[in-house]
Amino acid sequence: MIPQEAARLLHAYLDGELDPANSRALEAELADSAELRAALERLRAQSEAIRGSADYHAAPAALRARLGAALGEGGGARRSWTRAWRGAAALAAGAAAGVLLTLWLLRPAADAGLARELVESHVRATLGGRLYDVASSDQHTVKPWLSARLPYSPPVADFSQHGFELVGARLDFVSGRRVAVLVYQRRRHMIDAYVWPQAGAPAVRAGERDGFNVEQVSHDGMRFVLVSDLNRNELDDLARLIAAAQ
Amino acid sequence: MSDRRSRFEQLVLPHLDAAYNLARWLTRNDHDAEDVAQEAMLRAYRFADGLRGEARPWLLAIVRNACMSWLQANRPAELAGALDAEAADAEPDRAEGPEALAARAIDRRLLNEAIAALPPHFREVLVLRELEELAYKDIARIVGVPIGTVMSRLARARRLLADSARVIARAAKAKVAE
Repeated sequence: MIPQEAARLLHAYLDGELDPANSRALEAELADSAELRAALERLRAQSEAIRGSADYHAAPAALRARLGAALGEGGGARRSWTRAWRGAAALAAGAAAGVLLTLWLLRPAADAGLARELVESHVRATLGGRLYDVASSDQHTVKPWLSARLPYSPPVADFSQHGFELVGARLDFVSGRRVAVLVYQRRRHMIDAYVWPQAGAPAVRAGERDGFNVEQVSHDGMRFVLVSDLNRNELDDLARLIAAAQ
Repeated sequence: MSDRRSRFEQLVLPHLDAAYNLARWLTRNDHDAEDVAQEAMLRAYRFADGLRGEARPWLLAIVRNACMSWLQANRPAELAGALDAEAADAEPDRAEGPEALAARAIDRRLLNEAIAALPPHFREVLVLRELEELAYKDIARIVGVPIGTVMSRLARARRLLADSARVIARAAKAKVAE
């Protein structure tokens, strides 16, 4: 039988809303109880089903037009859209600034600088719409493209069957050197996976941020740092997939 | 262009889809959703000067209130379940653990029907969490309840959804068998 408290916390855990101390305690219970693990998997599957299949009702064009008329739209749609876009960019930049401050406060100094650089790179790529230089879900296209441009050949894997679709890759500068960035997509979220060779890098480490989550994992002599606005649990799933990849 | 107008267009208008999605799920039809969403957007425009913090939860709180007023006026029976929701907040979850529907066992139409069949207080937290992917603290702000209540309503919503999806699937099967 599943303890009542664990059953209650399972939802918050699934939603990435459980504080670290309770998360650790629940993870210990999960390790001990197949029943609890099965319950978590059922909940996760249901949540996936809702997000993947339930209708998302976007605003109809007629409503936009009615609103425009009601607000006395005079400047033309294009201008207002440019302004809306600029506003969104300013907001995202503001959010990024908030994140950077959090990173600075929470991380040991060296990692803070790195995480800040990576979040900046991720935000720049997202805002500029330059998420990838090579668009492909085929690892056999992405891998040679990267190795031709780098002094190393990063492992590239597609995790589509787990809901993380490889959509492309780009090159970016981190701490003054060129690194590979694999770009994954999950629903509407983009995930940047920065990869470079580094032996003895830390095992899985996660950071909780108010806008972006940053997660590190080492595998196959490479260090992976994942940056995304995806929730922590799902980003953690991707980190585990990468760590387990051949 | 006035300050308020540009502020509204920059900060609030980008969230029109989220506003309509919530209104559509709470009114459960296109026509009323458009009316309620438009009314809420115009109200948001009037109050745009008072916007502090993130725009999306702020806007959705206005949309949510407009939807609740609409339900009160047009579907009071639906809201009568509000007291059950309060009782559910106090009642602990079933001891055998959370139920959930099997992802493969249900098609899109059944899933939408099952969500639409949830009482409004459970439907709103589910839509805000699963479709808008909002944090508990934002949902708490929008719905106007403590975070603990968001947690228990969400847990209850997920279980009701699993139950009702099973009932709908069984009914559909029975119909085919007739």
